[in-house]
Amino acid sequence: MQAVVVDHINKCYADKVAALRDVSFTVNQGEIFGLVGPDGAGKTSLFNIMTTLLFADTGTVTLLDNDVENDYKKVRSIIGYLPGVFSLYPDLTVEENLRFFATMYKSSLKDNMPIIRPIWGQLSPFKTRKAGKLSGGMKQKLALCCALIHKPEILFLDEPTTGVDPVSRKEFWDILKSIQKQNITVVVSTPYMDEATRCDRIALIQNGEIIKIDPPVKIVKEFNGTLYSIRVKQIFETLDVMERCPIDSNFYPYGEYVHVVFYDKDTTTIKERFAAFLNENGVEYTDMEEIAPSIEDCFIELMERRDGVQY
Amino acid sequence: MKELGMILRKEFWHVLRDKVTLFLVLSMPIMLVLLFGFTISSEIRNAKIAILDHAMDSQSKSLIDKISASGYFQVVSYPENETGIDHDFKSKGAKLALIIPAHFEESLAKEKIATLQIINDVSDMNVASLLNNYIRSVIYDFTSDYNDLADDPVLFDISVKMQYNQEMNSVYMFVPGIITLIMIIVTALMSSITLSREMETGTMNMLLITPVKKVYVVIGKLIPYMLLSFICTIIILVLSVLVFKMPIRGSLLLLLLLCIIFMLTSASFGLMISALVKTQLDAMMVTMMGLFLPTVLLSGFLFPLDNMPYFFQLLANVFPAKWFIIALKDVMIKGSGIQEIWLYMLILFGMAVFLIVISLSRIDKRRKK
Repeated sequence: MQAVVVDHINKCYADKVAALRDVSFTVNQGEIFGLVGPDGAGKTSLFNIMTTLLFADTGTVTLLDNDVENDYKKVRSIIGYLPGVFSLYPDLTVEENLRFFATMYKSSLKDNMPIIRPIWGQLSPFKTRKAGKLSGGMKQKLALCCALIHKPEILFLDEPTTGVDPVSRKEFWDILKSIQKQNITVVVSTPYMDEATRCDRIALIQNGEIIKIDPPVKIVKEFNGTLYSIRVKQIFETLDVMERCPIDSNFYPYGEYVHVVFYDKDTTTIKERFAAFLNENGVEYTDMEEIAPSIEDCFIELMERRDGVQY
Repeated sequence: MKELGMILRKEFWHVLRDKVTLFLVLSMPIMLVLLFGFTISSEIRNAKIAILDHAMDSQSKSLIDKISASGYFQVVSYPENETGIDHDFKSKGAKLALIIPAHFEESLAKEKIATLQIINDVSDMNVASLLNNYIRSVIYDFTSDYNDLADDPVLFDISVKMQYNQEMNSVYMFVPGIITLIMIIVTALMSSITLSREMETGTMNMLLITPVKKVYVVIGKLIPYMLLSFICTIIILVLSVLVFKMPIRGSLLLLLLLCIIFMLTSASFGLMISALVKTQLDAMMVTMMGLFLPTVLLSGFLFPLDNMPYFFQLLANVFPAKWFIIALKDVMIKGSGIQEIWLYMLILFGMAVFLIVISLSRIDKRRKK
């Protein structure tokens, strides 16, 4: 059964900027579904529409056969939501926040302890601490607890790990996996491409449009081209030089490296031809090697193919 | 109902844990009442007076004694001629001079008429007119005493008329005004800030997507600040009665009921403001400009409404403060009962209902944005 059906959603704000353009996808029950895209891609607008906080201009969203506009009361009782910004009461303690939201959902801490136990185990030493005084990772764990306290069937998490340290991020994703085992559908958005691989399926979203929906492994497999990573001394000068590269390719900065995607069919001689081009133009580089594409590379490649965006 | 109880508990936690705000809110009425009470009081004591006594007889001496004993005046000099008066105005800080004519006692006894001259320093008009009234009232006392003993009444060439007691009037004016201001600050300002804070920080969205009734959220916001405002009102009333001897001539119960209704009105004003704006700062600015200023300027608290252009008199009707101050003065000063003020209470209650309905629909409409 499909837990979430998003059907041709369009949303335009007062400033006439289209936030979402004809967005459609489905999420299967018990799945972790990721919405991956840069800031401003429309992820939060989509979350607000799915969680009954915003009306779409056109299109429908149904959650377990309940329309988010018409059956919003029912929808609100079956969803849990963790918004992108910390939205609990900072002057209330951990336990008070949790009890407050439990009561709002006509539930109680005791009733649903089994579902939150893995997180509560980490939080309970801090239960008398004010929520505002928690670390970023702990805040998100508390928010997740509050979102789960009424045993929702679908959990929406809007960028839950933004601003959280890598260790806490990993812990958070481990918790999501354990939540999934309790047959809760998870829809999560993230700007971090590395997290995308932990989803069962991901939708890549850019400028309000979904550009690809597939399991992350499949997206990587379908990467169209040969990817090289080069370490250069002068990144921006190198990018300027590469504008003149005669080989059919695309390139973009990637940390200290420049990633180059070659579309040329003759892959055997590519490395030599490219090295010759760089030498001719006086580009100093170390380490040039072929690498397997990450989700981020796939995303950039897909965007490039769609819009002709140059990096 | 369990949810409402929890929301109320949560709001009280917010109020009680924000110690600085709580201290400010509770100390504000004390500060305001004392400041207004001691600084705006229009009574003047020990004003400096110069007396030019041409008569130097027993009656002129008795008049001077009466002036000194009144407490309003302190005789700083006895100039010998009229140029001396000018000098005393300039160098001795005299605000007023009294000239008693020669043969004062004789004129009183024989001609049955006496002419006294008062010279005022009008550089401060308010002080001058006040002192003028005081000296006239002292002379009036002197006249009545003299005439009580004399066979034929004597005419004094000064018309003395004191229509109201200045000192009492200022207390009458500021206590209802301060009660109104405090209620606006505590209920309207605080409830608009706390609600817009929930919207700004996103906790309102968290509340909206729970199945809890919106009306519980709103009631939960109103009650704690109404209670706080009620405590402030009691503080003001106690201080006004104990320190400034302000009377409460009407029923205390009616007075408190009136205050509760006005609290509801101003809290709903705050609610509507927070439903219209997006941030706490906006809520604060709009409450100050849209509610606080009109309350100070258009309620008849500081400036009489009758002197304003007709448009502003009409505009004043829109703000609850005008109706509240009228009703409050009626109950406290005139001792009016419910039959005289029910209409004002109804207007205030009607405003509250209207504003709450609008705000509830606005909070829901946010979803369409």
